[in-house]
Formats: sequence, C-alpha cells, structure tokens
Amino acid sequence: MIVFKNVCKSYPGSPEILQNINLEILPGELVFVTGPSGAGKTTLLKLISALEKPSSGSIVFESQDLSQIKDKDIPILRRRFGMIFQDHKLLYDRDCFKNVALPLKINNMTKADTYRRVRAALDKVDLLQKERIMPITLSGGEQQRLAIARAIVSRPSILIADEPTANLDKEYAEEIMNIFYSFQQVGVTVIISTHELPSTKINFKRLQLNGGAIQNLISYDQLP
Amino acid sequence: MMMIVVIGITLCLPSAGILLIENAGQISKNIEHEAEISIFLEKNISKDQVDFINLNLKKNSLIKKIHFEPKLIAWEKLQSKLDIGVNASVSTNPLPDAFFISLNTLDEIKIKKLINKLDGIDGIENIIVDGNWIKKLRIALSLGKLSVIFLAVLLIIVLLVVIGNTIRLQTLTYRDEIEVSKLIGATNAFIQRPFMYTGILYGLGGGIITISILKLSVFGLNTALVKLVSIFGTDIVFKDLSPKYYLYIVVLAMLIGLISSYISARNSIKRLKIYK
Repeated sequence: MIVFKNVCKSYPGSPEILQNINLEILPGELVFVTGPSGAGKTTLLKLISALEKPSSGSIVFESQDLSQIKDKDIPILRRRFGMIFQDHKLLYDRDCFKNVALPLKINNMTKADTYRRVRAALDKVDLLQKERIMPITLSGGEQQRLAIARAIVSRPSILIADEPTANLDKEYAEEIMNIFYSFQQVGVTVIISTHELPSTKINFKRLQLNGGAIQNLISYDQLP
Repeated sequence: MMMIVVIGITLCLPSAGILLIENAGQISKNIEHEAEISIFLEKNISKDQVDFINLNLKKNSLIKKIHFEPKLIAWEKLQSKLDIGVNASVSTNPLPDAFFISLNTLDEIKIKKLINKLDGIDGIENIIVDGNWIKKLRIALSLGKLSVIFLAVLLIIVLLVVIGNTIRLQTLTYRDEIEVSKLIGATNAFIQRPFMYTGILYGLGGGIITISILKLSVFGLNTALVKLVSIFGTDIVFKDLSPKYYLYIVVLAMLIGLISSYISARNSIKRLKIYK
C-alpha cells in the first residue's frame, strides 16, 4: 500500500509542483494519473519511486517512509518497482535478451534462473522470437513491450509507467494497455500516468491532477 | 590502448631512475669496501718503528686489511709506470715507506678518531683518507634517490589525473546504461565496479609495458657494454632490477588505476542526474 499524507513538492525559486497531496493506493489497484502537461504527473511518479523526495509531508510504502529514506536504501527499494518510461530507456548496444536480463544481473541472479525468467518475460509481451535482435530494429510498440518485459522480469509488486503510450499510435497503445491490465489482474499494483483514459471496461481508479493539486479521485464505476 | 601506453611510458621514467640508482649504489657499495687510508712514514724511519706501527695497526679493530709497501718497491713501481729514465733527473729515492689500510667502517667519527690516534704515533709523517669522493658519491646518490621519489610522486599525480579523466569520459559514454541501471535499482558500487576493473586493467597493462621497456633497455645496454668489455677488459654489467621491484611496479600501477578510477567513477556516477 502507498499512502501520501499532505505531500508537497517544490524546487527552490519555482512554484509548488505538487500541493497537499493526500492519496491511498491499495495493493492490486490500477491507477491512472491524468491531467494536462505540467500538472505534476511525472513528479508524483518520481516521488513514489524515490527519484525525488517530498518537500513536506510523507509517503509511506509498506510501512517505509520514503521522505526519510536513506540514499543507500533507495536502490533496494527501486528493485521492488517495475518502471516504464515514455522513451523506453532501452540500451541499444545490446540485444533484447540482455536488456531484459539487466535487472536480474543487478540482483545477482544465477545464469539459469536469468535465462528462464527473461524468456518468460519476453514471452509475456510476445517478443520471445526476437530475443537476439537489437532493440533499434523494433517498432515503437515493440520497444515499449520490451521495456515492460524488463520491468516485470524481477516480478515487482508495483508497476509504474510514465506516459507509456504517448509516442505510440492507437493500435499499439491499446496493445500496451492490455499488457498492463493483465498484470493488474494477477495482483500487481499498476500506476500509469497518461493523458487519455482507456476505453476498455476495466476496474481502475482515476487520479486527476491540475496545477499540482488533486482535482478529483474517482473509481471507474463513478465515471460518467 | 593509448591509455596503457601512456601509463607504461610515464612509469618508465621513475623506474629507470631507480634502475640507475640501484646500479650506481651497487658500484658505490663495492667501492666502499675497498676504501683506504694511506699512511706515509718518515723517510729515515727505523725497522723497529715500522714494526711498532704495524703492530698498532693490527691491534685496531676498525682496520680490515693492512698492506705495507717499502719505499724501494714503491720506487720501482713508479719507475716502471712512468717508463722514463727517472734516474736521470732524480738521484735518490724520494718516496717514503707506506701502509695502505682498508677499513671496515665508513663512520666519519670513528675514522677521525682513528686518524687522531695514528697521528700521535712516532714515525708517521702523513695520513691521507681516500674516502672523501665516496662520501660525495653517496650524497649525490641520496640526492638522486630524492629526485626520483619527487619525480615519481609528480608522475603518479599526473597518472591519477589522466586515468581519472579517461574514466570520467567513459562514464559519460555509458551515461544511458548508468541511468537505466540506477533506475532499476543498481547501487553506485555495482555501477562503479566495471570502471574500477578498467582502471586496474589499465594499470596492469601499463605496468607490463614499463617492465618490457626496462627489460629491453637493460638488455640493450648490456649488449653495448659487452663491446666495451672486450675493448677495456673490465667486467661492467648493468644489473637488472630484482623481480621484487618489477612486482612493485605492477602493483603500484594497478593501485594507481584502481584509486583514480574509483574516485573518478564515484564522483561522476554520484553527480549524474537521472530521469530529468
């Protein structure tokens, strides 16, 4: 569970990016963080993944206060998240298999386990047949799927995706979203920042930000 | 590769200095043991007095070797050396009887005491210590050692900076990989590790190049000296450094690589802002 209590975030000399955020994300929830550019969506995700610390307030993740977390504990925390970015952040000098294997290498996993897990992750995103291909030769959608495979390979309890479909056309975007839904259905907490809400009828929570504040927080069944 | 060559050549300079000093030191050590004091006796000294002086010298524990040279033999030697008719211009033997003694110490105070003691013995006209130039050589050698240490320290600083800068540039080249690794939970130590391996490998390669250059230089010098030996009939050999020194060079080079890559990679990785 992730709990935000009166969280504010600002940088010296600039207005507050996030103002008094109070929020609860339960395990297994699918949360869409929406809002216009500059609303604070990415900052919110950065706070959850400890890429930034709040200026005030507290963020509690599984009884650990992220606002007080020591630098040396951050890498261990991040291993519990799967992160997906708009620009994929793939390594283009190595093949798909090696890209997906990177988190496992960091976790000192054995070669046999790495092989098994990477292939399973690639299979999950339908890229197993391209495991020895360089990512640069993949389409945008495939690259994002590869990024998802890398995020799920270490079996995180939370997936955080920052505008994962922003650079994709509708068909690919839907494909990517369906992958996220499949993870949510097996109990993974999924937090996605996006401009558009999905058309698929699934159970999710919508957190709408505007000017750094929560404009509304509603469940799918409350949507008009 | 360029970095390895730079390390190799840079370390060569102080190492060559050590090689030269070790060889010069070896020469001075050999000479030290042969340092002599020449004791010239009065011209009309009696045989009893000579025996008395000889006895005194034998009793002294500082004296390792005593050689007595009667004036007649000295005169004959001089004549044969000069190979000219000395007799023609000098009617009588101008040379005195002399003792040439080798000491088992180079302690200045002990030598002074010995000279004072000898000076008080009747029949001794003049005492000459042949050790002054050895003292100068030793001072020159210790100055040389200091210069080599100073040069080594400077060059080590240069290497630390040069390797550090190369590693820093490498961290920039691998910026994407570092960023991704940080984002997915790699510790700074994990990210730093390959850069430190690179630093150690640079050092190892540089150390091997230094050793190769030194070995080749010693071989080249000794080949040239063989020709001199055949001309002058001396047995001069330029001695190679002991394996211990070569091990020190490699370990030092690897240590320099490790330290500079550790500092450089640590700072670069720490400073790298991720996911802006």
